[in-house]
Amino acid sequence: MSWLSRLKSLLQVQRLEHDLDDELLSHIEMRTEDNLAVGMSPEEARYDAQRRFGNLTLLKEETRAVDIVGWMEATGQNLRYAGRMLRRNPGFTLAAILTLALGIGANVAIFTLVEAVLLRPLPFPHPDQLVRVYDDIRSSNTHDVGMSVPELWDLRDRSEVFQDISVIFPADANITGGERPERVEFLGTNANYFTMLGVHAQLGRTYAPGDALPGFSEAVVISDAYWHRGFGGDPNVIGKKIRVDGDLYTITGVLPPDFHHPGRTLTADVDLWATTGFAAPPFPAPPVRAVRLLPGVMGRLKPGFSLAQAQAQLDNFVAQLTRQFPDEYPLAAGWSIRLVPAQQDLVGNVRTELLVLFAAVASVLLIACVNLANLLLARSASRQREMAIRLAVGAGRSRLITQLLTESILLATISGVAALITVVWLKSSLLHLAPANLPRLSEVGFSLGVLLFAFLMSILTGVVFGLAPALQAARTSHRSALSEGTRGAGTSNHQLKFSRILVASEIAVSLVLLIGAGLLVRSFEHVLEVQPGFEPHHLVTAKIWLAVPNDPKGDPYFTPEKRAAFHQEILRRISALPGVEQAAIGNGTSLPIDFNHFQSPFIIENRPLDVERTPVAEIATVSAAYFSVLKTPLLHGRVFTDSDDTKGQQVALIDETLAHRYWPSSDSDAIGQRLQLAVARRGQTSAAQNPWVRIVGVVGNIKSDGLDAATPPHIYFPVFQTPPYSAVVFLRATGEPGVLSEALRTEIQHVDPGIPVFSVRTMETVVSTFLAERRFALELLGIFAGVALLLASIGIYGIMAYTFSRRINEIGIRIAMGAQRTDIFRMAFEEGAVTIALGVGAGLLGALALTRFLESMLFSVKATDPLTFGTIAALLAAVTLLACLLPAHRATHVDPLIALRHE
Amino acid sequence: MTKPKSDVLQGTLALLVLKTLAQGPMHGYGITLHIQRVSSDVLRVEEGSLYPALHRMEQLRWIGAEWRMSENNRRARYYRLTAAGRKQLAEEEKNWARLTEAVAAVLECA
Repeated sequence: MSWLSRLKSLLQVQRLEHDLDDELLSHIEMRTEDNLAVGMSPEEARYDAQRRFGNLTLLKEETRAVDIVGWMEATGQNLRYAGRMLRRNPGFTLAAILTLALGIGANVAIFTLVEAVLLRPLPFPHPDQLVRVYDDIRSSNTHDVGMSVPELWDLRDRSEVFQDISVIFPADANITGGERPERVEFLGTNANYFTMLGVHAQLGRTYAPGDALPGFSEAVVISDAYWHRGFGGDPNVIGKKIRVDGDLYTITGVLPPDFHHPGRTLTADVDLWATTGFAAPPFPAPPVRAVRLLPGVMGRLKPGFSLAQAQAQLDNFVAQLTRQFPDEYPLAAGWSIRLVPAQQDLVGNVRTELLVLFAAVASVLLIACVNLANLLLARSASRQREMAIRLAVGAGRSRLITQLLTESILLATISGVAALITVVWLKSSLLHLAPANLPRLSEVGFSLGVLLFAFLMSILTGVVFGLAPALQAARTSHRSALSEGTRGAGTSNHQLKFSRILVASEIAVSLVLLIGAGLLVRSFEHVLEVQPGFEPHHLVTAKIWLAVPNDPKGDPYFTPEKRAAFHQEILRRISALPGVEQAAIGNGTSLPIDFNHFQSPFIIENRPLDVERTPVAEIATVSAAYFSVLKTPLLHGRVFTDSDDTKGQQVALIDETLAHRYWPSSDSDAIGQRLQLAVARRGQTSAAQNPWVRIVGVVGNIKSDGLDAATPPHIYFPVFQTPPYSAVVFLRATGEPGVLSEALRTEIQHVDPGIPVFSVRTMETVVSTFLAERRFALELLGIFAGVALLLASIGIYGIMAYTFSRRINEIGIRIAMGAQRTDIFRMAFEEGAVTIALGVGAGLLGALALTRFLESMLFSVKATDPLTFGTIAALLAAVTLLACLLPAHRATHVDPLIALRHE
Repeated sequence: MTKPKSDVLQGTLALLVLKTLAQGPMHGYGITLHIQRVSSDVLRVEEGSLYPALHRMEQLRWIGAEWRMSENNRRARYYRLTAAGRKQLAEEEKNWARLTEAVAAVLECA
């Protein structure tokens, strides 16, 4: 019944009840006073006064019932009357409903996103207990460096913070045994992952206690989507064997359709879950504390632990471990563990964008309300006689206000219903507008919250646009209106001034939106101007993944030589493909803008070791042709050659950023110097095994973290010296790159039919996917700002047209007296200019105060960029001035005779 | 000694209240005092039925109400007659006259 109490308080029934108590109390007190005056004792006097009421509670209830029934009757009457008034002016009603439905609809649509992405808790029991656990190294300012297995064990067994804690290890997996090998999104976790989330299988079971082994358990769980895609929804899928990365697993369960792994993945939703203790092959056994091979960890806090409490306890725990293992955790390195709420971790990066869009769309509705309020104000002139008559026959002003408000709320509610229906109807096409990488997109849908929002938004809208005109209309002095009304106009100057303030305020709000959109446009331009460091046109990329079976004996690519041979063979084949100019290969981190990083601290030979500021670089391994295929320039020295293989001298290339930072006098000084990685690379177990490598060249910067991010320093190693399991193929095509993908797949599977080829994309697609989120925010804010500009122009046009129609006699007289058209224009200009100047001034101040909320979405533009502010303000002033000169232009063409006769 | 008091008949309460308010705005307590005084303590208005009746008449818009300070400087809710109330009063007075005439006729005849 909460909606009823909401409604009641909204319509002030609550106030009525309070009034009744006061009224009865005043009665009792007056009687008491009189009783005292005739000589009763105070107790007697009070008792007598109360006694006369009999059962006070019953009386109150009866009286209240009268009030509420009366209120409902009055509302019913108001509604019927409102309905009649709206039907009587179908043109106005339709225009108003269209405007409002658009405004409310846009708000409902954005709120639906906000609700599903930001407000709705993650769909698990006690979602607030779920956290992501990150290792940071404060000295080198590196975040999320990964966790080692012994650290995980310490957190699980000794920290006393977590109920459950599990590794989340996204990976590629090859499924073989079908028609062609398939790549699926794979998630390696501990056996308590599903217990931690509180998720049960819809078919079969998730992991059992027996699945908690040091290595991989035989049990795998599949997603509902993969169950349908791969097995046609076969109910007998439980117990089926599948071959994943060369190993045999048994499907034990199918997850419910609405379950999605609550974290970032490599390319798609997770289809296959497997469990391991990460402490047996293919992982190093026994695990080493200094090797942080676990890319992500998620935990569920113990009940009653707040995030801050848990973090404080972990800080203590980290200090304790640092003392216990001084070799692994040098104090100066500043190892720390950071908890982030799982929901914030998942959606944190889109939070600002969604809230900005929400504010923008609400502003558009506000402007629409202001326009409508002005329309109603103008119309109320024609209803002034109606109001005056009703006042004269004894209707109270409050009754008139309620009546007029009922009309506007009815209008807004009809619009709200229309908006809701439209949004539900257009849902899927609207969702296509959202960037595909928006987190929780699959959860977007209509909920009770959205309905409630639409309802409250409609009521609020009705009140916002209806209140001012209602108050205005009810102020009407009936005597003046009844006499003045015969002339049909009767708009007071006071009212006109009020309308101008409304128009100025909508100009101000539009200016804020336009400036916001302008800043985003400028940022987008700047992002597009960024040199990515490679040439994305005609550049095709594809990923391949050599399976890593759990038992090395079953791995045909166990030795580096085998992997190098494989890579060399596919390079030879695809380079020979018609339409391919040149081909290269690199490891998983060599693909720019794919957010697959491997960062490592490193040491430069003969430099003092500064533990507090260890140099850190992103590491990639690439083949000799990589830089010429990407068209990244070689600045000094040489690139790799085919002789830089497992047998040759250990060499590396660095990029300009790294050279500038550590050899500031001249980049070429770096040539011939030696460096050593301080952290083990995959497949190695300890830093001590890292050899010294000689820098043989300096190459141009590649914007690997995205066009709008800082360029991190890079170190490149020859791919054939440490051939990776996860590889990316790069092709420079001579013509249209689209046709190459099938040929590429055929050639690679010719070498090994068990290797799937996936994520075949041109670099242009990679870049535009990266820009999608920015473009989405830009386009929506641009549309909202455009609509705001249109509405504000209509608003000022309307008010000027109205002013001129009222003053048409005056203009007629002026023209008859010999006034020039320019005089009429000047008059219009002066009137409009004041309103516009006011609006633009307020808008500039508002923008100055508000654009800083956009800061995280901007790139190379200050939130208070004077150029954007100036240009947009001038543009808005020009457009609105034009809108207010149009009616003046019409007025100058008026025939003085007609104008004078105009009533 | 006080005279025996009779409670106001159902249906006549509205008439009495309207008539009282015809002389000017008055709060609930004042209305009870007025009726009691004018009827020389014969008619006594029950508080228990007065307030529901007042609120009902307010809903019917026969009377309006507003908060004011009383002569003793106390906040009280004052009721006043509206145009519609005045019309209603005339109507009720006519009805009352017809009713008493009819009752008198019956008594005389008997």
